[in-house]
Amino acid sequence: MFNGFSHSVMGASHEKTGLVCQDSSAYKVCDDYAVCVVADGHGSKKHFRSNIGSKFAVEATISTIDRFYADKESFEESFPKNHKLIIKNIQKQIISDWNRLVEEHIKNNPVTEEEKSKFTEEEFEAIQPESYYGTTLIVGVAGKKFTFGVQIGDGTLVALFDDGKAVMPMEYNEAAPANVTASMCNSNAAGLFSAFYRDKQKLIAMFTSTDGLYTSFGSEFDFLDYHTIITNQLGDIDSFKNIIVNNLTKRAHFGTEDDISLSCIYDKELLEEKSELIASEVSANKQRAADRKAERLKKHVETE
Amino acid sequence: MNNDNIIGANAATNPAAPDYTANSAANDPLDFDDDPLSATGVSRKSLVIFFLIDTSGSMKGKKMGELNTVMEELIPEIRKVGEADTEVKVAVLTFSTDVRWMYSTPIPIEEFEWARLRASGVTSLGAALKELNVRMSRNGFLNSPSLSFAPVIFLMTDGYPSDDYKAGLKELQANSWYKFGLKAALGIGNEANDNILAEFTGSPDTVVHAYSGGQLAQMIKIIAVTSSQIGSKSMTLSDDTSHELGEEDVFAAKQKLLGQQIQELVGKTETDDVPFDTGW
Repeated sequence: MFNGFSHSVMGASHEKTGLVCQDSSAYKVCDDYAVCVVADGHGSKKHFRSNIGSKFAVEATISTIDRFYADKESFEESFPKNHKLIIKNIQKQIISDWNRLVEEHIKNNPVTEEEKSKFTEEEFEAIQPESYYGTTLIVGVAGKKFTFGVQIGDGTLVALFDDGKAVMPMEYNEAAPANVTASMCNSNAAGLFSAFYRDKQKLIAMFTSTDGLYTSFGSEFDFLDYHTIITNQLGDIDSFKNIIVNNLTKRAHFGTEDDISLSCIYDKELLEEKSELIASEVSANKQRAADRKAERLKKHVETE
Repeated sequence: MNNDNIIGANAATNPAAPDYTANSAANDPLDFDDDPLSATGVSRKSLVIFFLIDTSGSMKGKKMGELNTVMEELIPEIRKVGEADTEVKVAVLTFSTDVRWMYSTPIPIEEFEWARLRASGVTSLGAALKELNVRMSRNGFLNSPSLSFAPVIFLMTDGYPSDDYKAGLKELQANSWYKFGLKAALGIGNEANDNILAEFTGSPDTVVHAYSGGQLAQMIKIIAVTSSQIGSKSMTLSDDTSHELGEEDVFAAKQKLLGQQIQELVGKTETDDVPFDTGW
């Protein structure tokens, strides 16, 4: 049986500038599948409705996955055989649903004079309407027989499979330009997704997070260890959730001051079965961190 | 969206007014004693200061002794420099016949200890610049997930390079971290060539010269402290006309400010101690 949580906190820099939180997050758990999803609205001048865009990205994702699972037997049978093709189809459907939500929103909420006032006429005309809502998206889906994820733009997906190791399994799309954030609002968005698929390992827990979380860490080791520590506490999620929220708030305040969203899904039975393994990973990670620090502080020059 | 099975969909929590009552420490609402997640610290925006130090044989004696002493004194001063939200790290590359990093990775200034250097060999500046180019990358020393300011790069040398420094400089000049980094150089004694140093920094304004132990101490402190102060400053990316400025504009503004401040501070220094080259 799956369980999960999700939370978004506002970054201190957005607080200072009076910008609303640009992130959205959600999770969904059913008997047969679970979804964790976060989205990070771009928040810059021309993306002036990206807080709404990120909410639409989350909604479009959940409704798309629901549609694919509507005929569960057929989906679970065909997916392992054609996962590349079906994942591409899912990406296209998410983009299509998001564009539909954006179109409806613009139709019902035309751009106001106040929103236009920040641009010259030429500048405003040059912006594609979907750009107002520009956002990233990171999605993890756990099924009974497989696990997969899709992503467009910044953000991170961490998974702990049955070996208890925290990993970032996303296979990054080399076609996406490295120096520009890929976005749901790009005209070629469907071609800019990254994805991963696993069916040989059972999933204990999976997390998606916006880049505000990753950039609040000094090393990738710490970032991965963080997810192992959370997984180790998921058995008592009701008590631990408040601690996670407080920690995310601290990171959004003292780190890079960006909004942070974290969404998690996990398999309760497998988590219980692997609880000792996860606890031993937490201890081992602590020792490895101490070893890395000792190695880092060794001097390598000729001294007096 | 069908919400029947969705257990959570979130709007943001505002950090300015959270409910911390269950976990708050008395004075700091963001300090949680019972937080197992605090084992992985929160990283601030980081600034790496690269020191490139000539340890060739000609630095032996008073120059090296003075440099070691100044660097030991400097570390506590740099600790105070970073704005409260900046994590300052130090990387030291020594070059003589070989090039060597003092530590295998940039070290947070709070943990950094100076290793008193020894001088011998020739001046392989070109090899040092090549090595800097290799390490100054996201796959090398600048691999922290946290955001980084453009680095500060501070070169100190007392002689003419014994290898092809132009080849090393050419490689380095293609490195974006170098392009956007704040660069300064210190020539030590009569043999150091300020033109070469200006080639490295890109401007004579960010090159200074020390002819005595007293000057060396003053110049190192002026350059290191000023450049790390400017380097850790968040400069606005928009000007008065609210046009968005690019990274190149911010870099140019910072580098210009560094040149102005160094020249201003150097003009105020006074020393009457014995020049390095007297009796050398």
